[in-house]
Amino acid sequence: MAKKLMKGCEAIGEAAIHAGCRLFFGYPITPQNEIPEYMSARLPQVGGVFLQAESEVAASNMLYGAAGAGCRVFTSSSSPGISLMAEAISYIAGAELPVVIVNIMRGGPGLGGILPSQSDYFQATKGGGHGDYRVLVLAPSTVQEAADLTQDAFDLADHYRNPVMVVGDGLIGQMMEPVEFKRSISPEELPAKPWATTGCSDRKPNIINSLFLNPEELEAHNWHLHRKYQDMAREIRWESWKLEEPVDVLIVAYGTVARICKTAIDTLRARGVKVGLFRPISLFPYPSEQLSQAVEKAGKVLVTELSTGQMLEDVQAIVAGRKPVSFYGRVGGMVMSPEEIEREVDKLVAS
Amino acid sequence: MPTPIITKDLCKGCELCVHACPEGVLEMSKEINAKGYFFPVVAHPEKCTGCRFCLLVCPDTAVQVEAKGKTTVRTEGLTPKPFHYCPGCTHGVIHRLVGECIEELGIRERTVGVAPVGCSVLAYDYFNCDMSQASHGRAMAVATGIKRGRPNLVVFSYQGDGDLASIGMAETVHAANRGEKITVIFVNNAIYGMTGGQMAPTTLPGQVASTCPLGRDVNHAGWPIRVVELLQSLRTPAYLSRVAVHDPKNILAAKRAIRKAFKYQIDGVCFSLIEVVSTCPTGWGQQPHEACEWLEQNMIPYYPLGDVKLPEAAA
Ligand SMILES: Cc1ncc(C[n+]2csc(CCOP(=O)(O)OP(=O)(O)O)c2C)c(N)n1
Ligand code: SF4
Ligand code: SF4
Ligand SMILES: [Mg+2]
Repeated sequence: MAKKLMKGCEAIGEAAIHAGCRLFFGYPITPQNEIPEYMSARLPQVGGVFLQAESEVAASNMLYGAAGAGCRVFTSSSSPGISLMAEAISYIAGAELPVVIVNIMRGGPGLGGILPSQSDYFQATKGGGHGDYRVLVLAPSTVQEAADLTQDAFDLADHYRNPVMVVGDGLIGQMMEPVEFKRSISPEELPAKPWATTGCSDRKPNIINSLFLNPEELEAHNWHLHRKYQDMAREIRWESWKLEEPVDVLIVAYGTVARICKTAIDTLRARGVKVGLFRPISLFPYPSEQLSQAVEKAGKVLVTELSTGQMLEDVQAIVAGRKPVSFYGRVGGMVMSPEEIEREVDKLVAS
Repeated sequence: MPTPIITKDLCKGCELCVHACPEGVLEMSKEINAKGYFFPVVAHPEKCTGCRFCLLVCPDTAVQVEAKGKTTVRTEGLTPKPFHYCPGCTHGVIHRLVGECIEELGIRERTVGVAPVGCSVLAYDYFNCDMSQASHGRAMAVATGIKRGRPNLVVFSYQGDGDLASIGMAETVHAANRGEKITVIFVNNAIYGMTGGQMAPTTLPGQVASTCPLGRDVNHAGWPIRVVELLQSLRTPAYLSRVAVHDPKNILAAKRAIRKAFKYQIDGVCFSLIEVVSTCPTGWGQQPHEACEWLEQNMIPYYPLGDVKLPEAAA
């Protein structure tokens, strides 16, 4: 398929269609409105259904119903909307249903602002709603990667029967880049889901449920989920950039921030500074081992995020005091420039 | 000669059948069953006219009637699992009516039910079709997801008044307003049964509940919500009806309405919601037959019965 110039949000929507998804439930919120708008035009053309729900609470529960009925389904929202979906995501994880959720993060807390942010890292990677659960979290840094990861998200959700969240920010949502859809599947070609509520004509009734009144059963269910989350280690994704040789400073960043870091690294390297980038692509499961190895060959570690230091806590735990870890964050919709990163690296090299 | 047949180990000793029998055929036993309840015995079989009132009011499908050589059996629309509800709770009656409609309409194999959070949270164990549990109040959103994804399925939700009219009111109004082709069974028992008898949006003025110990004060808590009248104001066509399950005549009318509600969905006509005025003997602190009388005297005047909206009328 030929490359097409698309906005990040539109590429995400089109990727869902290429993944055989024909259902979208959502509620408008900036900065991701291009996704529901795109789906509202595109889905009817391919025999699908777009429904604007009365709230994110309703949208996420529509997801629960449709996923329980065995349909590929997705929604997108931005930070405050994801907070409202937290209850349903917990139920979806508890009932082991496959759904895809896109969070185009904006600054918070509260209504916050509409500009780019990565301040939902904790919410995405540590559960977000109540109960002991995890969602698989993928963080693209280009429009092409947003499309690829969205398509993968549907397969991963089906495989693990678990929510998969794709996190981006307004930059990636609005940015236009050439994109290619590498594969395409129709709903009819998707594997059957014998557990789904499709009508019990040739079998005993199926039940979609997250209630376990017997504590022994609930404990067993929780350990079953835990093992599943551990199995997800197979899905770990990361990028090592300019880390072939030992570096004085190892930058750890994800999503659009990683792009800014790459620009800074090019400039720094041209000046002879030994610096490289470790970019986690899956935020849960986190590429801990891979980062740990990269840290061995680095003098110092710099974590940079659009938050006051959320991924930082995971990196600190992985580095475990072996190397000094410093942090540079911008928040509230403010985005660091490559020059700011250069300055931070220069400071570390000089100190 | 017609005869009531009692499955004594299903019985919870609520005595509703004894009170319902117009001929005095049944009496309560002197011994107890495996669950520890007194159960009805057929003391005067010769008086039985085969009216089936005992069967109709029994919340635990413990009564069948043999007449003209045929014995009624527990409907295929329900699983064999005994209900967990309190003695005399009308949730059991409503379950039976829904199960019978599913069986009689021949839709069991393409029906998906959505269970709420409330006393009927375990409804997924009782309806003999595919079932989905939902979070508190969101059953209609879940039903919407199922129906939009698989329009050939018959989708119903079964919800209490706290679930549907308090925490889930937004989902209720919007599912109705979108005209989702789903069927909603709305159990109005004027209280939060499951959590121990707190005030519901439907608790009557002056009615005592555990969070309004002096009775509902309408100046403080507002007036009870009349759900079907509220939804009636929406322009979108719908079938909205209010029924009650405190006596045999009303139970039969309730079944007719539930059946009609499913029929509208099967024919792809409209959203349908049946408000079932019900009892919660435990939450109300009354004997089951007293609760039925209290319902008749206090609830029906505030919640008038009958069809409130027909889709044909809205055209
Ligand atoms: C989000 C959330 N809030 C509160 C509860 C607690 N809760 C469980 S059932 C219920 C009320 C149920 O009352 P109703 O819907 O009237 O059903 P009934 O038990 O009377 O049949 C409440 C408040 C919950 N499970 N989830
Ligand atoms: S109505 Fe049913 S549960 Fe109640 S006493 Fe009669 S047989 Fe038992
Ligand atoms: S508490 Fe009330 S509604 Fe709940 S099972 Fe008991 S009688 Fe029925
Ligand atoms: Mg109630």
